[in-house]
Amino acid sequence: MSKDEEFMPKILAFLCNWCSYAGADLAGTSRLKYPPSILPIRVMCSSRVDPLFIIKAYLGGADGVLVAGCHPGDCHYEKGNYYTRRRFVMLKEVVKGLGLEPERIRLSWISASEGNKYVEVTTEFTEKIKKLGKNSAKNKIFL
Amino acid sequence: MTKALKINKSTEQGILELLKFLLKKGKVKGIFTLKKINKDGSVAYSLITKPDELKYAVPFYPLMPVNAGKLLSRFSLKGSSSEPVAAVVRPCELRAFIELVKREQGSLENIFFISSTCGGVHPIDKSVDGTVEKNLSEYWDAVKKGEIPAELRPACRSCEEFIPYTADMTVDLIGNNIDKQCMIFLNTKNGEEIAKGMDGEFLEKEINKEKIDKLRGKREAEKKKLFDELEVKMNGMDGLIEIFGKCISCHGCMRVCPICYCKLCEFESSDSEYKPSNYESDLKKRGGLRVPPGTIYFQLGRLSHISISCVACGACDDVCPVDIPVAMIFKKVGESVQKMFDYIPGKDVEEDIPLVTFEKEEFAEVEE
Amino acid sequence: MSKPKDNLKSNGAVISAKTGTKESIINFLKKAMDKGVFDAVLVPMRVPAGDSFVYVLIKDKSLLKDVFPLPPVMSVQGAKAVSSVTRLGKGNMKIAAVMRPCETRATVELTKLGQTDLENITLISMDCPGVLPISDFLDDPNKGMKLFDDAAKKWDDKLMRPVCQICDKSSMVAGDIHIGTLGAKKDTFFIISNSQKGNDVLEKLAITLKENIDGWRAKVKNISEEKQKKRKKAHKDLKSEIGGLDNLLDTFSQCINCHNCMKVCPICYCRLCYFDSDKVKHPSEDYLQRAESKGSIRFLPDTLLFQTGRMMHMSYSCVSCGACEDACPVSIPVAQIFSMIADETQGLFDYVSGRDVEEPLPLIAYKEEELHEMEDAND
Repeated sequence: MSKDEEFMPKILAFLCNWCSYAGADLAGTSRLKYPPSILPIRVMCSSRVDPLFIIKAYLGGADGVLVAGCHPGDCHYEKGNYYTRRRFVMLKEVVKGLGLEPERIRLSWISASEGNKYVEVTTEFTEKIKKLGKNSAKNKIFL
Repeated sequence: MTKALKINKSTEQGILELLKFLLKKGKVKGIFTLKKINKDGSVAYSLITKPDELKYAVPFYPLMPVNAGKLLSRFSLKGSSSEPVAAVVRPCELRAFIELVKREQGSLENIFFISSTCGGVHPIDKSVDGTVEKNLSEYWDAVKKGEIPAELRPACRSCEEFIPYTADMTVDLIGNNIDKQCMIFLNTKNGEEIAKGMDGEFLEKEINKEKIDKLRGKREAEKKKLFDELEVKMNGMDGLIEIFGKCISCHGCMRVCPICYCKLCEFESSDSEYKPSNYESDLKKRGGLRVPPGTIYFQLGRLSHISISCVACGACDDVCPVDIPVAMIFKKVGESVQKMFDYIPGKDVEEDIPLVTFEKEEFAEVEE
Repeated sequence: MSKPKDNLKSNGAVISAKTGTKESIINFLKKAMDKGVFDAVLVPMRVPAGDSFVYVLIKDKSLLKDVFPLPPVMSVQGAKAVSSVTRLGKGNMKIAAVMRPCETRATVELTKLGQTDLENITLISMDCPGVLPISDFLDDPNKGMKLFDDAAKKWDDKLMRPVCQICDKSSMVAGDIHIGTLGAKKDTFFIISNSQKGNDVLEKLAITLKENIDGWRAKVKNISEEKQKKRKKAHKDLKSEIGGLDNLLDTFSQCINCHNCMKVCPICYCRLCYFDSDKVKHPSEDYLQRAESKGSIRFLPDTLLFQTGRMMHMSYSCVSCGACEDACPVSIPVAQIFSMIADETQGLFDYVSGRDVEEPLPLIAYKEEELHEMEDAND
């Protein structure tokens, strides 16, 4: 077994109902191959993702957290993803500022027609997390 | 040039006379200011309505028992003040109140703000053991010289925002001859109006920029030192656990935080409570888990809630019973978050909190 | 906890502790986990930085070697830990919770208040020499460890928290099993059962309770009586110092309304405290009116209302654990004041907080013929 096969990260993916989840669905129905590391959670809009969800997932031991929504301007609710983007900027600064690993959280825009992009993003993110290794928070006692 | 009122008395006397004038002439109904409330010299914020009671007032006493922003919020939470009142507050307290007003937790209406160029305050435990009172003359000497007084709280030592943005009046303390004169800048129409008729010399003047910049430089250096020290400690998850391991979960930092206004904090709500099944599944992962859990989650979560508006007032440091450097951590993270949005909390009540607004074209780099 | 039969209480077991009391207690826990008597233990552990001790729920036995059954500080009251684990249900794990007597007593009170489910919990307490004030310990944790160890060995309380110095219930058995060290011969300690559950656990571990423990009992009685005298005197002195409105106002003059005392109190379980609720928030007219009637009011007002109100709410259950005093950022002797009031309010009803889970809380029980002396009392 090679080292890469030993560690298959667990990546939580919050996918917006209207774009990214449909994109993931398209990837599936098109029989495109994407890594089994992704655990999708469907949300109605990427702005439904409270930064606390991401923090909780990270402290709970998720090796990576992906938030994916419609491209800016395409939000089903017109402006949800603009808020998402700002919150994400804020959260990344918090994580960075505390000396934690901002590389483990990622924001991507994936539309319903971008099955290919979904595959690209998830593959690339999985590779990156593999390089980073396991999230050390997973076995911490004093959280 | 700004309008100013110069009173040829010590600043301490001058400001008390101004306050007395405001009450006596009926320009305001009450005054919020620090006051000695008992014979052993405990200092607390008070709402004073009788001019006589002002003899115990100590407006710029170097102590912040509570962030006054929180008090003014409590005062105006159920509707704006029914009568005009004046509040003597520090710049960070005023900024905190502005942030609270943006969150609909208070109203600016009918409140006159008297602030100062701020020399900083001592840790609250130094008031309990009497050192603040004992070192008062050293404190004022340092302020006069535009230096950082000894034994200030870290948040104050490293504070660069010591000039108020939105005060109606600014009492000039830093680098000023406060024993001989009382210089009050009248920044707003309201400020000018309310000072009309006061004994003293009305003139046009600017705050001495040179002295201010000099002090800012010293504080910047202090900040860099403190941030560097923190940086070494904040070393990944292990570093955070080292820092916050001793937290006793009293949530005092949250309770005294002027920005944390929630009646019921998320981290005390049922959403944050562990069910037996949560414990069981967590124990499969970790073999052991701190109880009650959520120490790091609380800190990270609170940062995500308030870092955008943190005014680095240092109240959280004062209250922490186990001496975790909460204030410096929040200040450091807060500043970097605020910088991303080019936002200075409490600078302008008209400016939206960055997280409730957006630009269509921005932060393209955050998407990967 | 089912009520023990009287004969259960009379005897105990003498356990050999050649490797030291701490190690032997750890062995006891390990053995119990090996045999499946417990699935997990809730016990204090030193934090990685070494500057505090917190409760950890442990399932992985290899972690047991790092536990600290009797730490030098009480950073979180154990009852709060038990409540966190069981408040929402008893769960599927059988858990041993190892704590100090004031913590088991607070757990008993929380049980009466519906905030724990003890069905799967075995409460294990031990003789307690007190704890250091948390701020003293933090000044130099390593020195603190040594000072505590020495003091604990000699049962010397002068460095302990003031409220520990006057604790007359430092060996009170309120849980299922108690570990007694007082009066034990060198390299031994006693195990005492206080309930059917305790009996069952010990039986599974092949520990038989047939030794006479009168020696322990006598020593405990001795210390308790001595402390009771000290307590009475301390409370009397305190009362003359802080009694009366003016003194009370002075005592609480530094209070910054952080409500830390309430938050760390094991009895104050309300999710939203009355004194943080909308009930205490008023329109500006009200505040101005109050100020005008006196010329000046402290703001925030009602510090004493909070303190006395909290006394009304929890003094019947107060176990004098001292958590409030440790958490007070302005060093108000809250715990001493609350312990004084608790002794008086509980004394009225001959109630001892945490003594017995079957004993009803005084304010939710009554007798038709009682307290007549309070009617038309003229004091």
